[in-house]
Amino acid sequence: MLLEINGLTKYFGGLAAVRDFDMHLDDGELLGLIGPNGAGKTTIFNLITSIYKPTKGKIIFDGNDITSKKPHEIARLGIGRTFQLNPLFSDFTVLQNVSTSFHLHPKSSLPDIYFNTAKYRRNEAYILEQSQEILKMVGLDKVENELAKNLPHGYQKMLGIARALAVKPRLLILDEPIAGMNPSEIDFTLDAIKKMQQQKITILLVEHNMKILDLCERVVVIDFGQKIAEGLPKDVRENKEVIRAYFGGERVT
Amino acid sequence: MESRFSIKGRKELARPAVYVGLAVIVALLPLFFGSPYIHHMLILTFIYIIAAVSFRTIVISGQFPLAHAAFMGIGAYMAAMAAKWLGMSPWITIPLSALVTACIGMLIGYPFSRLRTLYYAMGSLFFGIGVIQIIYAGGSWTGGYSGLTGIPALLPATTSKIPYFYFFLGLALVSIIALYRIEFSRIGTNLKAIDQSHVVASSVGINEGGYRILAVGVGCFFVGLAGAGYAHYNMVLSCSSFNFMATLWLVMYVLIGGVNSFAGPIVGTIILIIVPEFFRDLKMFSPFVTAVILGIVVYLMPQGLVGLPQLIRSKLTEHRKVKKVNHAS
Repeated sequence: MLLEINGLTKYFGGLAAVRDFDMHLDDGELLGLIGPNGAGKTTIFNLITSIYKPTKGKIIFDGNDITSKKPHEIARLGIGRTFQLNPLFSDFTVLQNVSTSFHLHPKSSLPDIYFNTAKYRRNEAYILEQSQEILKMVGLDKVENELAKNLPHGYQKMLGIARALAVKPRLLILDEPIAGMNPSEIDFTLDAIKKMQQQKITILLVEHNMKILDLCERVVVIDFGQKIAEGLPKDVRENKEVIRAYFGGERVT
Repeated sequence: MESRFSIKGRKELARPAVYVGLAVIVALLPLFFGSPYIHHMLILTFIYIIAAVSFRTIVISGQFPLAHAAFMGIGAYMAAMAAKWLGMSPWITIPLSALVTACIGMLIGYPFSRLRTLYYAMGSLFFGIGVIQIIYAGGSWTGGYSGLTGIPALLPATTSKIPYFYFFLGLALVSIIALYRIEFSRIGTNLKAIDQSHVVASSVGINEGGYRILAVGVGCFFVGLAGAGYAHYNMVLSCSSFNFMATLWLVMYVLIGGVNSFAGPIVGTIILIIVPEFFRDLKMFSPFVTAVILGIVVYLMPQGLVGLPQLIRSKLTEHRKVKKVNHAS
């Protein structure tokens, strides 16, 4: 088991955004976390990546308790993430966005960087090569010298994923990767996600768009911060509770 | 932006040649200007260039400290007191007080690394004011309100200021090169990444707090160095040289020169120290005039004064194109 969440609870003031939430993720799995707007999906993400500290509960990644770690330490353990509102290093070029994100792999020591040693130069050359490879994989190699802020929305989202891949994640967390994309961009993103799946990267997806459900091997549905269903995508579609909470009583088509 | 992303061309080799040329021209200035007063102004320019460039090192990490002159004061008073009361050689007190200033900066930077934007600015501002108050309260140790006098000189006493000129030129060059190397390495890239989005930066494993404290430490080291050098050159210290107004002048040097460019603070410092010398009778108006200059610079050159050559170039090509079009029709 790669990720295990036990009894996770987060209160914002008197409001429970997440309550007694349990979840696990196996190695190499693609898990979808879905739920209506405001159900607490992003809160769970921010709890896993330590942007928020939980009120109660434990998060265990690969045997390590990561509940009270700092965000950069989480990245160091191998959890990469994208963001829903997709902030970027907007004044950097596309290539710089990715190469900066290679901060950890390989990591150069401060003296190495400052004195521009052979080791640092070798690391940077390797990073440059790897960054270009990742950009090719997500289809951004043609715009690598553009400033990130000048990219169209769909490209920016892909850049977010490219950046998360630079962390060399064992677990990749994607927060609404296809939100706001046009149909062709959606197809492209879904292809990219499938490619990562083949590379055995464990992926946790948040989406409230049902299109992405078909990709997932397992789906966890939450509403009002609590798990209401879990299972295969097709079973979840049939689940009465899910239909009521999520689709206002109508059947999923 | 960073040269390591491109293959070295003739253009990139031409740049260092220009820098070396500029440094040589500056080094030859005493040959053309014999007046000790001009030497003094140039020495002050070198000192404030170190302060302004080191200020910008903190700014690129997304922090806006308003205590930089106070840290210069810490360096200056530390060196002066160590030399005067403990009899240490200025050659030891200068690097030592730079180190101590860096340590104080990092200690203060640690709790402050959780503050952002206005909160950070205000926190550092009040810290800076506090430093000045402590120096005032220091009685005979710091000289208090009447200032600290009788500070041992760095160089053997002569009437000429030329030895000091070359000492501070060297100090400025070494500091500029050291800070340039930080900015154009992965360290600088990480600092700029934190400035653009600290959430994203930590999500790729950049230790935000650590890098912010590092930036403050580096900035304070060099401003402490500048302050300590100033103390042993001037031999008299007064608190008012390091008060809030002095910090604001540093901010102005950086803003008018151009905050987005490494050369910005250097250009800004030179212009704002040298140009007012031609209008000494109007000195009381200088804050007002500076505000007007800032307005004009930002309006015409969003990049700051360093954007001037580019502005002229684009205007010229525009002019040429318009001419061509007129000619054709």
